[in-house]
Amino acid sequence: MVDLLQLVFAGLSQGAVYALVAIGFVAIFTVSGVINLAQGEFAALGGLVAISAVGSGLPLLAAVVVAVATVAVVAVLMERLTIAPVKRMTTLVSLILTLGVSTGLKALMLLVYGPDAEGLTPINPGGFTVGGVSIRYQELWILAVAAVVSAAVYWFYERTLAGKALRACAEQPVAARLVGISLGRASLTAFLIAGCVGAIAGVMASPIYFTSWESGLTLGLKGFVAATLGGLVSVRGAVLGGLLLGVLENLTAGYVSTGLRDAVAFLLLIVVLVARPSGVFGRSAEARV
Amino acid sequence: MSLEVRGLAAGYGRLEVLHGVDLTAGDGRLVAVIGANGAGKTTLLRALSGLIPASGGTVTLAGADVTGSGPERLARAGLAHVPENRLVFPSLTVEDNLVLGAYTRRRGPAAERREARDRALALFPRLQPRLQQVAGTMSGGEQQMLAIARGLMAQPTVLVLDEPSVGLAPRLVGEIFTALGKLRDDGLTLVAVEQNARAAFAVADHVYVMDRGAVVLEGDAATLASDPRVTAAFLGGGLSGDTPDGPPTPGTAEAGQR
Repeated sequence: MVDLLQLVFAGLSQGAVYALVAIGFVAIFTVSGVINLAQGEFAALGGLVAISAVGSGLPLLAAVVVAVATVAVVAVLMERLTIAPVKRMTTLVSLILTLGVSTGLKALMLLVYGPDAEGLTPINPGGFTVGGVSIRYQELWILAVAAVVSAAVYWFYERTLAGKALRACAEQPVAARLVGISLGRASLTAFLIAGCVGAIAGVMASPIYFTSWESGLTLGLKGFVAATLGGLVSVRGAVLGGLLLGVLENLTAGYVSTGLRDAVAFLLLIVVLVARPSGVFGRSAEARV
Repeated sequence: MSLEVRGLAAGYGRLEVLHGVDLTAGDGRLVAVIGANGAGKTTLLRALSGLIPASGGTVTLAGADVTGSGPERLARAGLAHVPENRLVFPSLTVEDNLVLGAYTRRRGPAAERREARDRALALFPRLQPRLQQVAGTMSGGEQQMLAIARGLMAQPTVLVLDEPSVGLAPRLVGEIFTALGKLRDDGLTLVAVEQNARAAFAVADHVYVMDRGAVVLEGDAATLASDPRVTAAFLGGGLSGDTPDGPPTPGTAEAGQR
């Protein structure tokens, strides 16, 4: 029983990181139909920038702000330089473009930060034990920050005019343009959100899971699977998908074999793709009247 | 004049569907553009509001040349386009659809937006009890009313409508055209593209008849109503007489781009 609780708790905190990455996928996909393969790199870059900022003497909070701002700028530049100039975006073109950006970012991170994985200083080091379940403070921070960020993103889409405008672009791009919403600006906003959320995911994950130039690959993949579980169009679905994936991974690692941990994401992906492929690339029933 | 279109040409890719259309609307009149399926009516509106680029001609809105502007700019300049098939935002509530209709006015005073909303709801009282309902779950008629109300939220100087009556029960068609008549009486300039000629003639002040991407007849609604050439135009190819047996080619073009 203690084992189960321990695994579930560790899974939730890891899943919260996936959830944040997944929100980035959803933010971009709903507005522009682009599957951003550089989403994981946003997280890795966020972690690395924060680590080096702390290394150069900045306080932790300031380092986090610098990291999020840097990734936001990178995301915005990426949108302006690679996505916006394309007149007719197709899924294939978007995959090729974002894969290119992802590879470029990885190379750049390797050049600047070197090949070694490092961990950011945790906000409070250490942890405590409750009923046999050992809990690190950082895991609680991850859960808290993920909860606040998801709630904020959800609030943004549901309650603010800018958020509703983004949903309008996702559902009826023609009508959105006719009421005066610029699709280009919407796409830019979506990348900005994805950059910020991705950087936060990377910064929060770094103290426990470590960050290197290539950690974006795993994070991006897991985030994508989590987003896919929610049909790629729902923030709530992405969060639930992330948590589910994290818990399943940890249960598999604990009860079956640690070697199978990474297989869980692929298995889930296959199941989802077979069971409801339209939820992945189609705009599903939501966009139809 | 609020809206002046001179020699407007447009199409899809290399295919020209609209061949030099002239159209004038203003002074708070309701102008109807009628014609058979595929006559180029929708293309005319899409070119007017910048959804497709014009390959020739000019569009002047309230005295300013807006040729080549995108729909976002035209919306700001005072043109509201109620699109074909309504295109309400389906998963948003009726209220939020209206809020987004006033997107170009978002920096303006809130009182103005509230007033526009009150006027729109007074025009379509059926929307009032449905404000919190998700728009995609409403009937076609209610969605049409919402689409028009959303257009009005921008407080436009010209409202253009693409087939507001299509697919609706006759009673609802009457209701919607009565509302358009009221808007006209309030001084709004309207351009409605319609396939339902009877409904159009009942409220329009001025009628343009389109065939194969050009205006073939225009005049006062009262005068044109009894003109046998109008019926001929609807049967296709009756007016120009150059290809009496051929099918109207623009029709295939419009069907193909759906």
